[in-house]
Amino acid sequence: MSVEPFASGPRAGTLAVIAVPARMRATMLRRSLREHPGPAVAGLVGLLAAGWLIRYALHGDQHTLGLLAGAWVLGWIVLPLLLGGGRGQVRPAHLRLEPIGGVPAAMGLLAASAIGIGPAVSLVALAALPVHAARYGAVAVLVTACGAVLLWLLGLIGSAIALEVVGHAGGPTGALLTGIFTGTAMGVAGSLWAVFPWVSVLLVAAPQEVVRGMAYVPSGWPITAVTGPTGQGVRVMATLVGIVVLCAAAYLMLVRRVITTGVPFRPRGTTAASPPGDGRSQRGWREWMPAATRAVAGRELRAWTRHPLRLQYLAFAVVYGALLAGLPLLSDVDLLLPWAGPLAVLGAAAMSAGLVGLDGTALWLPLTSPGGERAEVRGRALAWLVLVTPIGVLLAIAGVLLAPDVDPLAALSTLPALLGAGAAVPVWVSLLRVRPVADPRHPTSADNPTDIVSVLVATAAGLLAAAPVLALVIWGPSEVAPLLPLVGLFSGAAAWRGGIWLADERLTRRGPDVLAAAGQRSRPPDTVLPLTWDAQWYRENKSTAWALGLLTAGWIPVIPQGVMPLAFGIDSGWIVAGHLSGSAHTAVGLAMVGLGVVMLLAGLVLWDRRPQPGGS
Amino acid sequence: MGTYARRVIPPALEIRSLVKTFAAHRAVDGIDLTVHPGTFHGIVGPNGAGKSTTIGMAVGLVTPDSGQIRILGHDALRDRGLTRALTGVLPDGLDFPERLTGAELLRYSAGLRGLNRAAATDRVAELIDVLGLAKGAGTPLADCSTGTRKKLGLAQALLHAPRLLVLDEPFEAVDPVSAATIRRVLRRFVAGGGTCVLSTHSMLLVEQMCDEVTVIHQGRVVAGGPVAEVAAGSSLEDRFVELVGAEASGSAGLDWLTEAR
Repeated sequence: MSVEPFASGPRAGTLAVIAVPARMRATMLRRSLREHPGPAVAGLVGLLAAGWLIRYALHGDQHTLGLLAGAWVLGWIVLPLLLGGGRGQVRPAHLRLEPIGGVPAAMGLLAASAIGIGPAVSLVALAALPVHAARYGAVAVLVTACGAVLLWLLGLIGSAIALEVVGHAGGPTGALLTGIFTGTAMGVAGSLWAVFPWVSVLLVAAPQEVVRGMAYVPSGWPITAVTGPTGQGVRVMATLVGIVVLCAAAYLMLVRRVITTGVPFRPRGTTAASPPGDGRSQRGWREWMPAATRAVAGRELRAWTRHPLRLQYLAFAVVYGALLAGLPLLSDVDLLLPWAGPLAVLGAAAMSAGLVGLDGTALWLPLTSPGGERAEVRGRALAWLVLVTPIGVLLAIAGVLLAPDVDPLAALSTLPALLGAGAAVPVWVSLLRVRPVADPRHPTSADNPTDIVSVLVATAAGLLAAAPVLALVIWGPSEVAPLLPLVGLFSGAAAWRGGIWLADERLTRRGPDVLAAAGQRSRPPDTVLPLTWDAQWYRENKSTAWALGLLTAGWIPVIPQGVMPLAFGIDSGWIVAGHLSGSAHTAVGLAMVGLGVVMLLAGLVLWDRRPQPGGS
Repeated sequence: MGTYARRVIPPALEIRSLVKTFAAHRAVDGIDLTVHPGTFHGIVGPNGAGKSTTIGMAVGLVTPDSGQIRILGHDALRDRGLTRALTGVLPDGLDFPERLTGAELLRYSAGLRGLNRAAATDRVAELIDVLGLAKGAGTPLADCSTGTRKKLGLAQALLHAPRLLVLDEPFEAVDPVSAATIRRVLRRFVAGGGTCVLSTHSMLLVEQMCDEVTVIHQGRVVAGGPVAEVAAGSSLEDRFVELVGAEASGSAGLDWLTEAR
C-alpha cells in the first residue's frame, strides 16, 4: 500500500496522525474501484435515488420526507452489515500497534469512514432537507442544512459503531438484525402489489399516525425545527447535537478499548455458554429417542440458538413469512393471513438447505461412531421439527385470529406437509451440495454460503409435499374438505420418510466424500459478468450466457404468463391464457408454469456447470 | 508382548496394499503396516508424506482406492460399525461442533457412542478433571485454544474406552504440563492392554513413547519396526532425515546473522 507509515514519537502532529487512516482508506477505495465496478454502479444507483429524493423534497410532504431521510440513514447503518461492508474499511484493530491515542484514532477512523461512495451519496441525499426548507427562507435553509449534516454524522458514526460491534462480532445480535432486515426487504419485495398503493398515499400526504410518530424520529427534526415554534426548534436541534455527541463518545470508547486492550468488542452472550453440568436438562420427553439421535438433536438445538447464520436464517424465515402474509393488509387483503405459518415454515426449510456446510468438517464425529450416520440425519431433522413447528403453529394461529372471516383449512392442512418435508429434505440437500463456510469457528453474515440451487430444491420439496392438499382445495369436491388435514399429515409423513431415506443413503454411502467436500474451504473465484456488451466474453462463456438468459427469461412464463392468470385472474392483452377460457385457460397457464420451471432448471444446471475463472 | 501372544491375538491395526489417489497425486502408494496390540506405534514422515491420509483411511474418514484394513481382526471396510466401536479417533485439522462447550462436546460424543447417562456423566467429569479441562469445559469450542481443542479431542477419543486409539498430531500446541499429563494417560491406556497409534513430527516423542515406528515418505513405507532398529544406532531424527533423502540445510549462509555487532 503506497501510504506513509505513522510518524512515531511526539513530533507527529495530531492532524497528520488523523490524516493517515483517511489516506489508507482512499488508497483502498481507489484500488477497489479499479478492480470491481460494483461500488461505482451502486453509487450511480444511489445518486439516482438521491436525485429523486431531492426532487420529491421540492413539492413533497414534510413528514414523508423526514421518514424517507430516516430510512436512508438507517439503511446506511444497516446495509453494510448485510453486504460485508467491513471489507475495505480501516478498523480500530488496524491501529492497535501504532503509537496513537484514542481520540486521534477515533477521529482518524471517522475521517476514513467518511471517504467512500456511500457517505458522499448520503450527503447528496440529505441535501433534500434544506432543499425542502427553501420555501421557508434563508435561515430555514441554514438550520436544516446543519440538521442534515448532523444526520449525516449520525449515519457515519452509527455505521462505524454497527460495523465494529455487530458486523465483526458475528454474534446473535448482528445475525438477528441481518435476518430481520433481509426478511423485511424480501417480504416487501414479494408484496409490492400491496405495498405500492400504500406508498402512493404516503407520498401524497403522510397519514396522521405517521405525522404523530415522526415527532419522535430524529430525521424529522431538522424540518420541524423551522416549521414549529422557535423554542421547539432550538430544543430539537440541541437534542440532535446531543445524540451525535453521545454516539461519538460511544465510538471513542469502542476505539480506545480495541487499541489499548487489543480486545474487539463482543456483545454479551456471543461466547456465553452453559457451564459444564450433568446434562439433566435433556431428560424428559426426548428419552424415547435412541441416545445417539438425541445427542445429535441436542447439538443441533444448541447450534440453532448460538450459531449466527442459523439465527439469521430463522429470523429471515419468520419475518419473511409474516410479512408476505401480513403486508397485503395495507391493501385491506386478509386472505393470506392464515398462511403466515406455512410461509414461514417453507422459508425455514429453504434456508436450512445448506446447514451441513456451516459446520465445516465436524461430521467426522458421527462418521467415526457406530451408526453415526443415521443418528446425524434423524437428529438434524428432529431438531428442526422441534424448533420450527411451534413457530409455524403460532404464526398460523395468529393469522387465523387476525382474519376470522378467512377459511383457514387449506393453510392449516398444508402446515404438516410442509413441516415433514422441511425437516427431512433439506438434510439430504445439504449433504448433497455441501457449501462450506469459510470460517466455521467465527462466521459472519458476510460469509453466508447459501446455495441457490439447494434453496430451490428444498422449496420445491415443500411445495411438492403441499401439492396434494392444494390440488384438492383447488380442484377437489367440497366433500373432501374434512379430509384435508389427514392428507396434509400423510403428505408430510411421506416427505419426511423420503427425505430421511435419501439423506441416510447419501451419508452412509458417501460419508467420506461429504466430509471431503466440507473441507474444501477455498472457493473458486466468482464469475465476473461484463457490465457492458462484450461479444468476446459471450463467445468464450456460452454456457454462462445461456444460463443467464434462461434464468432471466424463465420467470416470464412462470409469473406473468402462469401464476398471474391462474391465481389472480389477471388476463391483460399479452397474457396468452387470457385469450382463452375454461379448462383451456387453466391448461395454458399450467403449461406456461411448466415451461418456465424447465427453463429455470436448465439455467441453474448450466450455471452450476459454468467454467470457473482460473480453473482447469 | 511375547511372540506367542502376537501369534494368537490379531494385530490391532493391519493395513495391506493401501492406495489413495487425489486427482493426479498418489497420496498413499501401496502402504503395508502392522500395529501389534498393547503397543505404542508412531507414524512419522515429512509434510505431505501420506500419514494423515493413511490414518484417515484406517478410521473410515477417507475412502481408499484399494487395499485392506483390519482392526483387531475385523474388516474395517465391511464391519464399519464394529470397528468404530473399538476405535477412538483424534484427527488433525478437522472442525468440532463449534457452538458447543467442551463439556457439551463430551456429552454429545458420549451420546453418539450410546453411553448410558450415569457412565457418561462420571467419565466426562473425570476426563475434565484429569486433563485439566475445567476452563475449556465451559467455553464454546470456537473460542478454545488449539491446545485445549486437542485435549478435548483426546478426551472424546478416550470417552468410550476404546481398544485402539488413533491420534493425529496429539501433542501439537499442547503446553508441556498438559503434554506430560497426556503422556501419562496414554501410557496407562497402553499398559492396560490398549493400543495407541500416533502420527507426529516429533522424533523425540517417538523415541520416548513408542515401541515401534513406521516411516512414510511419498506415500510409501521406507522403514518400520522397533524404534531402536529403525534408528540403527544413531538418533531417530538423523536417521529420519537420511531415510527421506532430505538434506538438513541451515549450516551455510546467513553470515550476517552471526557477525559481531
